Formats: sequence, C-alpha cells, structure tokens
Amino acid sequence: MDFNTLLKNKEMILLDGAMGTLLQKSGARYDHAPETLNITRPELIESFHKAYIDAGADILYTNTFGANSYKLEQSGYSVSEIISAAVANAKRAAEGTDALTALDIGPVGMLIEPAGSMSFDSAYEYFKEQIEAGQDADLIVFETMTDLYELKAAVLAAKENSRKPVIATMTFEKNGRTFTGVSPAAAALTLEGLGVDAVGVNCSLGPDELEPVIAEMTRYTDLPLIVKANAGLPDPNSNEYSILPEQFASYVQRLLPYGVKFVGGCCGTTPEYIKALKTMLSDRSFAPCPKTADTAACSAVSVAEIDQPRVIGERINPTGKKLFKQALVDNNIDYILSQALSQISGGAEILDVNVGHPEIDEKKMMARVIKAIQSVCDAPLQIDSTKPDVLEEGLRSYNGRPIVNSVNGEEKSLSTVLPVVKKYGASVVGLTLDENGIPPTAEGRFQIAKRIVERAEAVGIDRRDVYIDCLTLTVSAEQDACRETLKALHRVKTELGCKTCLGVSNISFGLPNRELVNSTFLTMALEEGLDLPIMNPNSAGMIGAVRAFRVLKGFDRGAADFIASCGDAPAVPKPAAQTELSVADAVYSGLKGEAAAATAKMLESADPMTIVNEMLIPALDRVGEDFEKNKIFLPQLIQSANTAQECFDVIKARLAQSGSQSVSKGKIILATVKGDIHDIGKNIVKVLLDNYGYTVIDLGRDVDPQLIVDTAVEQNIKMIGLSALMTTTLGSMEETIRLIRQTRALQNPDGTSRCVVFVGGAVLTEDYAMKIGADYYCRDAKESVDTAKLVLG
Amino acid sequence: MITLDRLSREEALRYMGGARAVPDERLNALIDDCEAQILGGARPAFLYKIIDLPDERFTEGKDIAAHLEGCDRAVLLCATLGAEIDKLIRVAQVSDMARAVVLDSLASAAVEQLCDKAEREIAERISGAYLTFRFSPGYGDYPIALQKRFLTELDAPRKIGLSANENHILIPSKSVTAIAGISDRPVEQKKRGCAVCSMRETCRYRKGGTHCGF
Repeated sequence: MDFNTLLKNKEMILLDGAMGTLLQKSGARYDHAPETLNITRPELIESFHKAYIDAGADILYTNTFGANSYKLEQSGYSVSEIISAAVANAKRAAEGTDALTALDIGPVGMLIEPAGSMSFDSAYEYFKEQIEAGQDADLIVFETMTDLYELKAAVLAAKENSRKPVIATMTFEKNGRTFTGVSPAAAALTLEGLGVDAVGVNCSLGPDELEPVIAEMTRYTDLPLIVKANAGLPDPNSNEYSILPEQFASYVQRLLPYGVKFVGGCCGTTPEYIKALKTMLSDRSFAPCPKTADTAACSAVSVAEIDQPRVIGERINPTGKKLFKQALVDNNIDYILSQALSQISGGAEILDVNVGHPEIDEKKMMARVIKAIQSVCDAPLQIDSTKPDVLEEGLRSYNGRPIVNSVNGEEKSLSTVLPVVKKYGASVVGLTLDENGIPPTAEGRFQIAKRIVERAEAVGIDRRDVYIDCLTLTVSAEQDACRETLKALHRVKTELGCKTCLGVSNISFGLPNRELVNSTFLTMALEEGLDLPIMNPNSAGMIGAVRAFRVLKGFDRGAADFIASCGDAPAVPKPAAQTELSVADAVYSGLKGEAAAATAKMLESADPMTIVNEMLIPALDRVGEDFEKNKIFLPQLIQSANTAQECFDVIKARLAQSGSQSVSKGKIILATVKGDIHDIGKNIVKVLLDNYGYTVIDLGRDVDPQLIVDTAVEQNIKMIGLSALMTTTLGSMEETIRLIRQTRALQNPDGTSRCVVFVGGAVLTEDYAMKIGADYYCRDAKESVDTAKLVLG
Repeated sequence: MITLDRLSREEALRYMGGARAVPDERLNALIDDCEAQILGGARPAFLYKIIDLPDERFTEGKDIAAHLEGCDRAVLLCATLGAEIDKLIRVAQVSDMARAVVLDSLASAAVEQLCDKAEREIAERISGAYLTFRFSPGYGDYPIALQKRFLTELDAPRKIGLSANENHILIPSKSVTAIAGISDRPVEQKKRGCAVCSMRETCRYRKGGTHCGF
C-alpha cells in the first residue's frame, strides 16, 4: 500500500497517538535525546508502534521528532544513524499490516529569521539531512511547527530532495495563532500553494478548543485536514491529561464536517485514545469541504482576500525616484522600510516590491528587502521583477503566499515565469502584452489574457489566481486608449472570471491636477470590475476613492472602515505650539515643527553652513552633554537628534535649490557584527551620527565581515563602527577588524590601515577594544559622535 | 496564566539613562502610550521545573555553587513576553527611534515583573520552603552556554515558543532563564547587586552613579 492508495481507498485515515507519553509511562531512561532509544532500545520503540497498529492506526510516526543535527549534537549519534534505525523500527512493527511509516520531523529548535537568527538556508539544510536519512519511509510529516517560514524551508527541502507525499501540521495557541503569530488561514494558503498533500493542526490545544482553528483553515483550502490534538491540558502536579479517550473521540467527531480526513492524538494520548477514535470513525465517511474564500495573498500573519477592491502600494520601486535609487546603492534598507510603513499607514493592503537597478545585484537585494519588510510589516507582498531568477529568489525568501508581478503573453515569459509561480504556490499578475507590444484594441488584449489563463491552467495554476492587467496608457498621448483599457478589463472580468489589476497613476502623465484625473479613472475602473489598483496609497484622493467605493458597493458594512479612516487622532499629544522658538531651543526641546519653521526663517537672512555650525551642532552638543551628565533621558536625546534632522532637511532642500555643496561631513559604515542580533544600540548611534551631518551606511545586524569590507572598498570609506552586545559575539568583532586590517584595498601605500574602526557595546571595555585592534572605544552614542568629529571633522 | 499590570516607571527610566533627570510631560506621554502597546502586545508565559541537588548539569562554576549553598533542591525557570514585543520594537526602530528606546526599556521592566510574579506563584506551590534570588546563565562565571540546556529541560521551544540561537541569545529577546535554590530553612539572601555582577567593570549604569536594579 502507498499513501495515495490509502487516501483513495479509505474514507477516514487514523494516525497514531503520542510517542513521548508512552516513553514517559515506560520510565525508559535516555541521555540527551529520546531519539537515541531507537538504537539503544529498538524493541521498546517497536512495541509502541505495535500498540498503535493494534489500536487501528493506519500511519505510524517514527520516533524522530527532534532527530536533527542541532538537537542531536551531544548525543553521540548521527542523524542518519538515528533516523534509519527509527524507520526500521516502525517498518518492523508494520510488517504484515497495511500501516504506513511516516518520517516524523519537528522544528529545528532554533527560531528562524527574522524573529530568530537561523537563516532560511540553514533550516533547509537541517531538514534536507533528515529527509535524506529517511528515504525508506512512506511519507514525510512535519508537525508541531510554529513558524510558517521554517515550515516552508521544510516543505521545500522535502519537495526538492524526495518524491514522497508530505503532510504538515502546525501548533496553535488559545488565541488561534501560533507562537510566532501565524494564522490558520495563512498556514492553509501557503501550504496548499507549496503542494503538500494534507494540512492541519497538532499539539497544544485539546480537540474541544480547535473548532475555530479548523473552521478557518477549511475556508482557505481544498486539501483534506489533519487533527492530532492533545488530550487536553496536563495537570501541573500529576502530569495527567484532562480529557479521557471517549470524550476525546467525541470532540474530534465534531470537527469532521470541516473536511477532516486524518485524525490521531498528540501529547497525553495513548493506544486507548486511538481505539476510541477507531470506534467513533467506524460509521463515519469523509466529508470533503471545498474552500469558500476567494483568491488571496498572505503573509504569515495577515491575509488579503481579494473579495473586494484591495489597494496595492506602488512606491517600493526605484523608477523615476532618485532617493530610492541612492538607497539601493547604499544598502539603505531603513529607507525602504519607511516607505513600506508609510504606505501601510496610508491604507495599502498589499505592497509591490521592485528593486531593479543596474548598479546592484537585484537578486540579493530582492531577498534582503523582502525579509526586512516582513520583519516589520504584516501586509502581503507582490514580488515585482522582469527577471525570472529574481522572482524565484523573492518567492523563496518570502514568508506566506505572495503575488508575482508579472508574466505576459510572450512565449519566453510564459514558459519561464509560470512554472516558478506554480512551484511556490503564488498568484500571478498577467500583463496583456506580447512580442508585438500592447494591442491597441480591447479585443487584442482580451485574447492575450485568454492565452495567459490557458497557459497558467496548463501548469496547474487556478484561473482565480491569475490577476489580469489590461494596462493603462497615458491619456494625454492617446486619449481613446482609456476606453479600450476599461473595455478589456470588463471583458476579462466577466468572460474569463479572472481578477483584474491595473497600475493607475500612468493615466494622468503630462496633465495638470494629476490626482483628480487619477481618482476619476480609478473610480471608473473600479466600476468596471477592477480588483487590485496598484497606486500611491498616500494620495488622499485615490485612497479616498477606493474607500468611498467600498462603502457605496456595500463591501464596507456600516461604513466602519471609511469612518475610521476619516478621524485619525495623533497617539501622543503634542505640546501647545510655542511661538518664535530659536532653532537651538527647538532642537533642545525636540520640537520638530517649530525647529523646521525656525530654520526656514533663519535661512532668509543667514548662510546655511552658518546655521549648521553655529546653531544646530552646538544645540546637539548641549543635549549630548546633558545626557552625559544624566540630566536628560536617552529618548529625549534621540528626539532632539531627530529634530535636528528636520532642520537639516530644510537646509539640504535649500542647498539643492542653489546647487551648492552638500552638507555631508563624510561617510561612516555601521554594523552589528556577525552572530549578534541586538541592534538597538547601533541604531541609536546611527540617529546621532545622521543628525550631526554624517552619511551613515547602515549594514544592519548579523553582518558578514566580508560585506563590511566590500562596502568599505566600494564606497571608499574611512570610518567603520562595529557593535556587539554579547561576550559570545566579541570573537566575530575581532575577526571583522582583522579582515579590515588585512584587506589591501583598505590600506595606505605604506601598509597601514586607512580605515578607522570604532567599537561599542555593553560587554566591551576600552582595554578589550584595544586588544582586538580597534582604534576607538565608544561608551555610548554621544562618544561615537565625538570620535567622528575627531576623525572626519 | 500571568497578566502584567502597571510597569515600573522607575525601572524603565533607569534603563533610559538620566539618573539625575525628571521626565518631562512629553516623555511621560510617550511612556504611557508605549506602556499600553507593551501590555497589549505581550503574551507573558513561563515554565518551571524543580530539580534535586546536586545536579551537575545546572551547577557549573563557582558562583552558582556559592549561590545554591545550603539548598537541596532548585527551581529552573524560564519566562518570555512573546514574539510580538520584539516586533513592536523592530517597527519602532524604523519609524521612531525614541519610541523604540522607550518600548525596549518598558519591555525590560515587564519581563522583570513577569519573573517576579512567576517566582511568587512557584513559591506558593512549594509552601514551607524558601527561595534564593534568581541566578541566570551569564551571571558571574555561570556559563551562558547553559541556555540551551535550560530550554531543553523545560521544553520551552514547544511549550512557550522560547528558544536560543547559536550564540545563546534568547529569542524572543525579552525573556529570561534562571535558577533559584530551594531550602527548608530561610536562606541568607546573598547580596544581589554590582558586587557579584560580571558586567561591573563596563556597566554604564554604574559609571553613571546608578545601577540596573539587579
């Protein structure tokens, strides 16, 4: 019997119960890891498997939950020794029966990026090693997962290194989320996209508490569901679980109508529970439960169901944006993140991410930016590139189910992009153009749309997951083209049954009052059936049009969202505006508006550099000194620094107008060293240096020494600041400094280093800093500024 | 289940420097706002286990031996505010660094409050015995590398989503692992404070004439 036959032949499939509970009851002793018992007590493990077969289990989970090289590190056994012994134990128990053996794999045991510091690739390697060791199993099961990104690494490792069926379950808490915030909907969408054979829940809650979780999952997937719950909660004193076998079975029974096909038990369950399930299942048949949700994109925590118009923010895109291009070249990820956050607060529900720029490695940047955005922002993303390899890199880096932007009617695009979209389970934007360009007529564009949909379906992509873009042309150049676009959009929507998207802002190019033209066009398109406007969500007119449309069409019930968006109160009350503050006083008090106004006024009579050197910098110095003397708190120092930034911006704008020199006092690299993920201290230093007029290139945290050196060489850097917060990461600070010193390109002709390195962090001392070869030790952000003044002026 | 209540201003302000300062109205308003965010985002959870002593797995080093002197049992404890707090601080670091510092300081105060409450709950369950103060991996010569052992012993990754990375950094970051000795007789509370702290030479609080509260 194989898994697919079992799936076809049996209405309901019975999984086994807990391994750990039986181990505990048996009193078996082991060192380091219970998985070692596969080798030291094979007969014991086999007897547990047999007990579950006798109880009626169709599928046995091997005793390999934690059998990865991280957890087995001290056990004295290799992953392959443990796993092959475990699979053999289950196989021996199953001999002469139809029971299948599932290679059981749990989480690695370290948290994956961005919350943790285990990289996606290293998680993938841990899983790959387990999968390769378990080649004799009949299927692979991932269970007790709490991070969807780790689970994605696991599923890809399974898909890319074996042909076995894969089933996957996650663990949810009382609030209906996993520890890392994953929602059941996001798990269902993402895992179905990745091609698993069944999805569900295990552990953590009892079956009496799982109904909301299962109900949410089934709305978003056509896959059969799995329920392998705990026997309630353990009593803290006796460690006995609260739900008895018959009760357990009757709770599970209530979940069956949601499309549950696999049932079993997790912590606290024994063969008695499986027997009770078997009895309960005897007169039950599988009740398939097709998904009722519309097509959707999601991150791990947030789902955007395209059941009504959803706004895609367009601003993470360097096209025509000088500052954005510079940010890409400088690796200034924070700039991109601030663009993401401001679009979300404007009302974007999905963010388009395009980082195409000839001077950078687009593939690497796409991965980096996606991970960074996902670390601060819950909205689903749309991965935007013309290059299939960049798209794939983005898809791999993404946590959740994204949209790919885009495929078009060209053969080359169809044959390279669609298979990647299918592999990662994304949805895709289809542009109605091909080798011959954009057809002038609605009919021409409709035909291309039809072709794209057919080709998508041929590789197994549902047409509901193809979002057709009928392309907006500039109305000032081709006035009648707008009508054709809308006509095509209408036909795609009604005749093909696809969702539609449209970049809106192009329409008004070359016209005055663009926002009015944009909003009007947007409203017209929405009425024709536009689902996904790609637009600037910070344009009040456009976002307002979408919100009003949703009210008028009855999507926004009770106009709740609309009303909420009209009355935003500031979270922190602003002090009463004071009149006529000097620049220095405004900076000292951290009053941004006043400081900017005062600066603008000063500029009428004073020279910009005089304002910088005689007002801003002394004001910052005064704040810094007060901080040093413990007269003010750190947040106040930072507020003052940010206020100075406002003044600098006013001055920079003036200098740009007059075409004179910039105010930058020099470039400084900042990084938290490899292995360290504490970056708050480094970020405080950054704010201060920024506001003293230095250009900071922030390489982030957990930074590879080579990246620091490469950036220093490329950008001709003279000053590097490194931060480490743990005694355990001081070694990597030392190594980074060593690499800086050894790099030829960073040396003067006489072999001395031309980079000044300053270091800081809680565990450092002056002596230690000197010992590892730093030039300066800076106790706090204020001292970093003093050092920068000394070195760069 | 532990719920957090009002966070210690005094403690949070100490983490923000300014020993000789009084917060102004604006900073107070920011603290109020951040406190609501922390209390709303925290999912406080803790685990504990009582072990018999001696247990060489958890007693490496001179300092812990001294700390547990006269105790025949000890309680292993871990506690976390959950992953959402890290995210709040990350987001603030992009949009408003001053807010990030306030959130970070309040979260540190919150995790202390959580540990205090957890300790009280545990003390109630072992009524009749006495607890020493909490001693964590990384204090004195007690190896920080023990983090993983603590977490494995308490099944923390699975039960409360708390793990450590290869450099023994706890994730979520606003978390604690600690051991406290249990004795049948009242224990002489060995002095907490700068004298036993491994950071005493570098500590910015101490240099500023104050202390971190330990």
